[in-house]
Order: sequence, then structure tokens, then C-alpha cells
Amino acid sequence: MTGLRPWCRAAAIISLLGATGPLGARTWTVEPGGRTSGITAAIGAAQAGDTVRVLAGTYAEGIITIDKPLVLIGVGRPLIDGAEKGDVIIIEAPNVVVQGFRITGTLVSNINDNAAIKVKKSDHVQLIDNIVERAFFGIHVASSRNTVIARNVVSGDPAVPETRRANAIHLWHCSGAEITDNLSQDHRDGIYFEFVTESHIRRNRSLRNLRYGLHFMFSNNDTYSDNFFKDNGAGVAVMYSKFVDMRRNRFTSNRGASAYGLLLKEINDVVIDSNQFVDNTTAILVDGCNRAKINDNVFRGNGWAVRLFANSMDCHFSGNTFVGNTFDMSTNGNPVYNSFSGNYWDRYKGYDLDRDGIGDVPFRPLSLFAMVNERMPYAVVLSRSLLTGLMDQAERLVPSMTPEGLEDDKPLMKQPHGTRHL
Amino acid sequence: MWKVYKYTLIDLARNKFVGGWLLLLLAISFGLFQLEDQPLKAMLSLTQVLLALVPLVASIFSIVYLYDAMEFTELLAVQPLHRSKILGGQMLALGTALVLGTWIGAGIPLMIFQAGSAAFTLVLACTMLTLVFTAMGALIAFKNREKARGVGLGLVVWFLFVLVYDAILLWIMYAFSDYPIEPWIVPLAALDPIDLGRIMVMLKVDLAAMMGYTGAVYEKFFGSMAGTFLALGALVAWVAVPSAWAFKAFQRKDF
Repeated sequence: MTGLRPWCRAAAIISLLGATGPLGARTWTVEPGGRTSGITAAIGAAQAGDTVRVLAGTYAEGIITIDKPLVLIGVGRPLIDGAEKGDVIIIEAPNVVVQGFRITGTLVSNINDNAAIKVKKSDHVQLIDNIVERAFFGIHVASSRNTVIARNVVSGDPAVPETRRANAIHLWHCSGAEITDNLSQDHRDGIYFEFVTESHIRRNRSLRNLRYGLHFMFSNNDTYSDNFFKDNGAGVAVMYSKFVDMRRNRFTSNRGASAYGLLLKEINDVVIDSNQFVDNTTAILVDGCNRAKINDNVFRGNGWAVRLFANSMDCHFSGNTFVGNTFDMSTNGNPVYNSFSGNYWDRYKGYDLDRDGIGDVPFRPLSLFAMVNERMPYAVVLSRSLLTGLMDQAERLVPSMTPEGLEDDKPLMKQPHGTRHL
Repeated sequence: MWKVYKYTLIDLARNKFVGGWLLLLLAISFGLFQLEDQPLKAMLSLTQVLLALVPLVASIFSIVYLYDAMEFTELLAVQPLHRSKILGGQMLALGTALVLGTWIGAGIPLMIFQAGSAAFTLVLACTMLTLVFTAMGALIAFKNREKARGVGLGLVVWFLFVLVYDAILLWIMYAFSDYPIEPWIVPLAALDPIDLGRIMVMLKVDLAAMMGYTGAVYEKFFGSMAGTFLALGALVAWVAVPSAWAFKAFQRKDF
């Protein structure tokens, strides 16, 4: 404690008087004051397993490094301003908890990935209920296991161009991460996963990010459920991954020439179940996927509900609802190694004589106009005209241009239960 | 002019056809909304029906009505009345009656089942199309002496705009697909009032697909409110030009 300023030592002493904790762990209290206030000092003084309480106020101490297992708790949401020196908080020890802070002031740099909270090679770290504002990277976790990131709000600056933005929540080479109830907005990617395994992303919201709401690369055996992705520049991208489970997510209003509700590229063994896709330019792009089960999703009011590329195999669509999409399906070739069965299509005009709820004639989701449009995108101005309606009807009666095998052999007569209100 | 307008309107109110048109629209609209469990789907079907039917009825009814009223018009023409006021009153009354029919027959069901900007745009598009094809009907009626010929011509014009023009447009797209023709597609589509009405509705319903198109011209047109206003402006021009032509034809008409 010899290097400490006198007032800080006083603060530490005062706090020690009232400190009691289990197993001899002590509680330190830090109050704002002076040019350099004492979070760094308190961390230096504390022993592993101690708790540091930081009271409301502003703390500008440059980069704060936590190098021992500590619980750092903000009381009354203190502000930690990194004053653009680099990262703001660096965690280099396991079992650290950082909770209840407002953090800002990272240095924008394309050499270092500066973050408001950076976790390096530290397991069992918990980042809870923090507000990160106008940071370069919001939360950056690398080479760590069992990280918990919950109830954080990571907000970028909407006025900043893409070159000066980075990801809100960024995980690299992690496993066992739990990412729950966070809000990430106005960053480059909302949530970014690279080489992350055995992790769960639940109930997060990702809004208005310039690139992807969720970006997922080389990450196997992960689940994401009940998340909400809206107004992101390019929606959600899941690439080069295996065994991914996606359930009950909502993908809304991801619009633009290369925007996708969900972009699947080189994905194997994936389950996409009970999600909602509303108002996207392309709801799902399936490019080079094998063994995907795409069941019970709702596609409503999208430009293209499903763009299924011919390099995909064994993708099964079942129990999905297609309503009010400009095109239910399009393709770049002949994707016959995939199947559609038992979906509800609002364009289906068949009949059901035996009254079993399944149409007696198959439905062809790929319309002639969708194929024309694939060749000439500007033909979209003729959408819903009498001419294209007649073209599609003729093609459905006598298929000559569209792939013969591509059909839903058991189209549902009524929308599946539970999706009618959508 | 307002006197002509008033008496023509009273005459139209007695006309069984206007009432029948209103009832037909009501039946179609309510029927579609009640048959479909999805209001959005019903509205899209209704859009296709209305965009084809409204121009047909507006043009054919105007033509038939103006031929039937030709003796009355002749009688008015010998009065010390300016001819433009006679035709102005008649066309305005026709437009009012048909637009009211559309508003009640299609507008009310739309507002009940699927109120929103898309439904409002559809009603607006139908209103404009009614006016456009009423003006064209008047032009055809005063340019041709024979009723059968006029009605035939009305059918041809309707068929041209509802189907043939789109086919030509699609053919142009195919034929010139190796050339940078994107900037020309929207202006070319604007040469067909039914396409304009359809595009206005699509900008509300199918905008997601529109945004999927990469062309900068399209994005500017579709991505903002400008698209709707431009389409509306072009439709106003489509009312103004045939009307002006019809007035000119009527001024010179030798009964």
C-alpha cells in the first residue's frame, strides 16, 4: 500500500472497518474523488476472492486491469471512462465478476481490438448488468471457457461509419459461454462468434447493427433461441459450422440487396425450428448446407422466403407457414436433393376431397415468375400483375421450365395451429 | 357546370349499373375477406381483382353512359352554355359516382378487415385508376360516333393496359437483357396506368423484395416515399392528358 495516495489509503481503511465476508474474503469500497480515484488501487490492495464495491460517480483511470479473482460491483451505476487510452477494463484472471457499471471511452484502433471489457484467457468470468456506450468493441472475450454475459446493454453510436465500428459482443475461441438477455445495438456485428463451441445464446436483442445481428463462424455445437434480430444491415449469418440449433428466434426487417434474415453458408446438421421471419428481403438463404431440418417456422411478408441454392443437400422443410411473401422460393439451379412436405402455402389453390387437412394435389413452391426474376431482377416490377399470375398458373398446370421434382407433396389446407395470429 | 354536374349525378344515382357495381365490389371484398383466414392474403387477392376490374368498369361504363346521354348532351349543347362546362360537369359526375362506388364497395371492407397504409394505397390507386379510365372513356365516346365501336375500343384499350403492355414490357426485358436497361424499366412501366397503380400498392406490400434489387435507380425509387409520390404524379398526368384530349374532341364535335 506504499504507493497509494493518502486519501485512498484512508478510504481503504474505512472500508475495511465494516468489512466482513465468508472465508475471510473482504469487501473494499471505492468512492469517487480526485484526479485518480481508486479502482486500480483497490484492485491492487485486494486479495483473490475479495469484493470491491464502487460507489456512484465518474472514474477516469485509464486502463483498469483485473489480474486476480475479484468481484467488482458498481453501486448506483458508476461510470468508468477509459478516456480513449485503449481498452477500458481488462480481465486476466478466472472467476472475476464485473457487474453494474456504465463503461465508455475505448480507443478506436484497427491494430488492437480495444474493448470496453476485454476478457483474456480467463475462465468462469461473469459480466452482468453493465451498460457499454459508444465503445469500439463492447465486450471482447478471447480463449476463455464458461463465460457468462447477461443483461448487458451495449450501444454504439449510430453516426459512426462502419470503419470505426466493431462488434458489440465478440467471442473468439471460447467454449461453454452463456449469453443471455443482452441488448446490442448500432455496432458492426451485434454478437460475433468465431471458434466458439458448446455455447448458448438466449433471449438477446440485436438491433440496427450495420452488418450482422449475429455472426457465427466455425462455431460448432451451439444453440441460439428466443433471440430477436431487427433492422440489421445484413441480418444473421451462420457460416462454416456444424450442429447448430436455432429455435424460436425472430428475424425482422432485415432489408437490402444483400440482407438476409438468416444466411446459412456451409452449414451441416442444423435444426431451425419455430422461428419467425417477417419483412426481410430474403428470409433464409441456404447456400451449401447439408442435413438441415427446417420445421414449423413462419415466413411472412418477405421478399423471398427461401432461397435454396442447388449446392445444398438433404434440407427438409416441414410444417412451415408461408404467407404474403413476394416469392415463396427461388433457386439458382435444380435443388432436387432437398424436400418440402407438409407446409402451409398461401398460394396453394388445391382441394382436399378426403378432408384430412392435406391437399390432394402437390404444390410447386417455385413459380415461373421467380425463375424469370432470378435471371432479370428488374422484372420484379411485374410482381402481382395479371400477366405473371397467368404465367404461374399455366406453369403449375403443365410444368415445363421449373424443376419437376421440386414440390410439396402434402401441402396443408390450413395454417398450422399457433401461427394464425402472426 | 355545377348544374350539369348535379343533374348528371342525380341521373347516375338512379342508374342501376352504379348500384350494381357497388354491390358487386362489396360482395367480392367481403367474400374474399371471409373466405380467407389471412387478411393479408385476402387483400393481395383483392388487389389483383380490383386492379383488373376497376379500369374495365370505369371505361366501359363511361363510354356506355356518355353514348346513352348523347341526346341530352346535344340538347345542352344548343343552350347558351360553354361546351367545356357541359363535359366538365358530366365527367366530374361520372368520376364522383364511380369513385364513391369504389370507396364504399372496396374501401369500407378494406378498412374493416385490413386497415393500414397498404389498404389506403390500394383505395387511392383504385380512385386514380377510376378517374384515368373515365377520362379515357370520355375520349373514346366523343371520338367515335358509333356506340358498338366505342365499347369495342374501350375493351381493346383495357386489354392493352391490363395484359398486353406487361407482356411487351417483359419481352423488352428479355430482348435487351444484355444491355443496361434497368433505368428504363420504371419509366416504361409508368406508360401503363394499371402498372402504376400496382407499383403503388407493391411499394407498401412487396417493398422487401423491391429492396432486394441492386440497381441504384431502383433503390432510390423504391427506398423512399418518392416512389409513391412519383407514381401518383404520373397517374395525375394520366388523368390530365386524356381529359384535355376529350375536351378538345368535344369542343370540335359536330353533332
